[in-house]
Amino acid sequence: MRIGLQEDLDTLQATLLDEGELCIRSLRGVMQAVRERDPELADEVIAFDDEVDSRYMAVAQEVESLLARQTPVASDLRFVLAAIHINLALERVADLCVTIAKLTKLVYEVSPDVKLIEAFEEMASRGEEMLRVSLDSFVKRDLAGAESLVDLDELIDRANRRVVQHLMALGGNPSLREWGLRMIVVSRCLERIGDHAVDIGEQTAYLVTGEFREFTDASHPD
Amino acid sequence: MVTVPESQTVPVTLPGVNVDAVAERGRPLPARELREVVFDVQGLGVSYSGNMALQDVSLEVYRNFVTAFIGPSGCGKSTFIRCFNHMNALIPGARIHGRILYHEQDLYGTDVDPVEVRKRIGMVFQKPNPFPKSIYDNVAFGPRVLGMTDGLDERVERALHQAALWDEVKDRLKASALGLSGGQQQRLCIARCLAVEPEVILMDEPASALDPIATTRIEDLMHELKRDYTIIVVTHNMQQAARVADMTAFFSVTRGGEGQRTGILIEYDATDKIFTQPSDKRTEDYVTGRFG
Repeated sequence: MRIGLQEDLDTLQATLLDEGELCIRSLRGVMQAVRERDPELADEVIAFDDEVDSRYMAVAQEVESLLARQTPVASDLRFVLAAIHINLALERVADLCVTIAKLTKLVYEVSPDVKLIEAFEEMASRGEEMLRVSLDSFVKRDLAGAESLVDLDELIDRANRRVVQHLMALGGNPSLREWGLRMIVVSRCLERIGDHAVDIGEQTAYLVTGEFREFTDASHPD
Repeated sequence: MVTVPESQTVPVTLPGVNVDAVAERGRPLPARELREVVFDVQGLGVSYSGNMALQDVSLEVYRNFVTAFIGPSGCGKSTFIRCFNHMNALIPGARIHGRILYHEQDLYGTDVDPVEVRKRIGMVFQKPNPFPKSIYDNVAFGPRVLGMTDGLDERVERALHQAALWDEVKDRLKASALGLSGGQQQRLCIARCLAVEPEVILMDEPASALDPIATTRIEDLMHELKRDYTIIVVTHNMQQAARVADMTAFFSVTRGGEGQRTGILIEYDATDKIFTQPSDKRTEDYVTGRFG
């Protein structure tokens, strides 16, 4: 048993999970800022991104050191390669939360449409669930759990389409036009969080099976 | 839909990159049916005074491949490599079971001359073992014994070139081989092996007594030599197997009812497969360092 290698792998996984928790906190915080139209809270979410970035850098450094000093092979190597991708996916999730926070600040004076906020809440809670499922399946090396993300993602995608249709219906109202455009981007950001969770699931599938495949192929949907 | 005609694809050239060498290293192994089988090992076992040291090994060794045997101490990998040129015959009480076909001829057939076998199948050992003679005489030793004395100087020079030693010793061929460094001595032993123009080179831990730089030179040499030779290498250093070998066999140990240890072949596959997705859990545990 290579104790040093195992300790390094455990540390890498723990740092990734910590990063994941921070992303989920960021997502919750920004949804609260959207719901309550709170620019100060939005600023806090933006500042909080530094926390996620510090974990991102820590993972990158741990990977570099692990590759240089432990020369992992087989499933250990796949774990490290998967960690590189998951690290990037999580960092982007946090960036998307920052984008939502900035958009919220731009339009916080506009009274929100209740139906739309409800739709965002639903998307965000699905996004949070997907992040949890993706990280849990990664830790448990659970292929079925990872593959279940595809169905969960479909629900977010549908919610995104409903939001877009709803906003299109508001198109005739010039006072809501800027707000509506901003909100389409918010919806898109939430939808992308689901995509990143699916990406994490694909890395888990690679870790378990040794073969990389995309769960769904956007350029060849059928 | 946009399609890019084939003629528009431009090969990428990177300054300072030896494209041929990179392409050769990255080239996938030829398909099984395109490989030439040098050794076909069928149910091979070795016993010493009745104790089975190695049991039921079957595998094929392919021409111009580097084939590595890895495994924990006592797994029989050195016993196995010694079967390929009758070295076990020198050990009292050793018995070979099963068959090794060398180009379809039984290596242990009654009409086989061990000296002829060792001429075609050379061996390099863990510890460099030059004779206490000059550098020249070391390399010329085999050809002289075998009567291959025509053009001996050229033969010696060629062997030293192939072993990547010529430039370092060309001005002191008459000096004692014992004055060379450990890494140079090992390359001299490789040159001595090459001088009789074998087809196969067996290497039993060829770099384990050498420092990292000398080790790198031996590994580079193996890459070069496999163009012309078939190489089998036993190594304790798994990363060395990962770096140099095309195919890798992993051996392990089973214990009999009375605690006797017997080596068995667990998995034999392309080196890439062994070090990325081994099929057997025991191989995975060994290459990742969780066992052995």
